Amino acid sequence: MSRVFKARNQVALVGYAHSPAVRRATRPLGVTAIETAKAAIADAGLTVGQIDGFVSAPLLPASGEHKAQDGISIVSSHWLAQHIGADPAYAVGFQGIGQLIGSLTLAVNAIASGAADYILFHRALHNPAGSYNDNPMTEARGADQWVAPQGFYGSMPTIALAYNEYCQRYGATREALAVVVSEARKNGARIPWSAWYGKPLSVEQYLAEPTLFDPLCRYDADMPVEGVACFVLTSAERAKDLKNKPVYIAGYAIGYPRENRPMLHWTLDDMMEAGKGVAARLWRSSGLGVADIDLPQAYDGFSPFVYIWMETLGLCKLGEAHELVLSGGIDSDKPRTIPVLSGGGAIGNGRMHGVPQMLENYLQLSGRAGERQRADLTTGLSCHSTPSLGGAVVYTNDPV
Amino acid sequence: MEIDQHAAGTAAPPPVRIIPIPDATSAGYWEAAANHVLTVARCAVCGQTTLPPDMSCPHCHTTEPGFTFVPVEGKARVRTWTVIRRPFLQGFTPPFMLVDVELNDHPHIRMVAGLLDGAEAKLEIGTPVVVAFEDIAPKISVPAFRLEKSA
Ligand SMILES: [Zn+2]
Repeated sequence: MSRVFKARNQVALVGYAHSPAVRRATRPLGVTAIETAKAAIADAGLTVGQIDGFVSAPLLPASGEHKAQDGISIVSSHWLAQHIGADPAYAVGFQGIGQLIGSLTLAVNAIASGAADYILFHRALHNPAGSYNDNPMTEARGADQWVAPQGFYGSMPTIALAYNEYCQRYGATREALAVVVSEARKNGARIPWSAWYGKPLSVEQYLAEPTLFDPLCRYDADMPVEGVACFVLTSAERAKDLKNKPVYIAGYAIGYPRENRPMLHWTLDDMMEAGKGVAARLWRSSGLGVADIDLPQAYDGFSPFVYIWMETLGLCKLGEAHELVLSGGIDSDKPRTIPVLSGGGAIGNGRMHGVPQMLENYLQLSGRAGERQRADLTTGLSCHSTPSLGGAVVYTNDPV
Repeated sequence: MEIDQHAAGTAAPPPVRIIPIPDATSAGYWEAAANHVLTVARCAVCGQTTLPPDMSCPHCHTTEPGFTFVPVEGKARVRTWTVIRRPFLQGFTPPFMLVDVELNDHPHIRMVAGLLDGAEAKLEIGTPVVVAFEDIAPKISVPAFRLEKSA
């Protein structure tokens, strides 16, 4: 996008629902999805019959050997529309990484174009039994042959490599990353549907944990969970007549990997380079700059992503995010900080793939965050995945 | 009936390493590796190099890259590293060190591979390493690296 988003502030979030995020589900994912979708539609003050669009990203979030089964381990837009008894004009799914923002842009564009009037947007995450990442392969074919025989496999080693380069280059310490994780868990512990509700993690607890993929430990990755989140989107015009205060989409930007690398080899430089493009397009698209954003929410599926996003967006200088963190600069309980994890993020909620960042924007900007409500917010921003595989969305509750 | 090998006193078999299965795009690479020669893929159209070879050239984007595998000097610089203490794959005994290096004569190419000096090796950004090969099965060798000063 080379100019302001034509549909800037023309599409609004008008309702939501979130199931409990749990380590192991006792009911099929599809059942939770149906119930959460119905709750979100009711929350928006609508009926199933009014929903004429369904959008999602039904990727199964595990890199081990697991099978995708609709209604069981994934929930597609079509499956949900059928099982909720809707007759949609538009039901689509986003394929690829950066699922939340990829699918959200489909929903926003569909409302903006008039392809649908009311969209049920959902993300359903299944946590398969057994180990999430273990792979019993004895032979490596295709993309695997370039990494697995060498012992390189899984996303934690990937992030450990990129993050260690950050540490070596900028002098970042484990003590700073402990503050990131502890901040996420502190905020997640206050969210009733979080898998970590009532379970904060102290800096001391983090530091006592042995590293598994130096310099990362298990607390640096979000915990796989089973859970469903739904949002309802409609046009700004229709949103006026609904019961909740609308939160408008001001703009978005998505990044793409540019370098030819082996599978899962995401280098620090590749992510930061992609981030430059994402940030430039995001500010052009939304007509806003970083100084205009009241509530940025960093993606933290792996804790080091918080630094990458803070520096990509220009919330601090390159290489200085870890210093800002150590000096208390992201503490959501202190005044005049940049509370990038106020919604608990992925580490504080469980692996809901970008939902916590989007939901915190919706709750805070619509004035529906309850006891956690922050004052004087007009604009927000959610980050998703990495700058090279995901992107960022800008929101406002005060369209100009 | 299943026989409990531990109860029978049988020693556990040594870990089996994951075997790369060459295909039409990678056969030349693994052939050279079996002879302990590290190669990169060179595009027949633009002459630029890449790894791994894709179905098109990442530089000139031709769909007929006709990649050939050309030997490299085998020297590289460490960009970053991690010690794996909990592998997701079988056949690897933790802890072990993975290094992410850029090749001296093809600095745009990054490789992730094992460092044979062990998990305690002292590294920094720019530490020089040289390619080494692990012979994991008959006629199958996998590239790894070794500290240049120890090689
Ligand atoms: Zn070429």
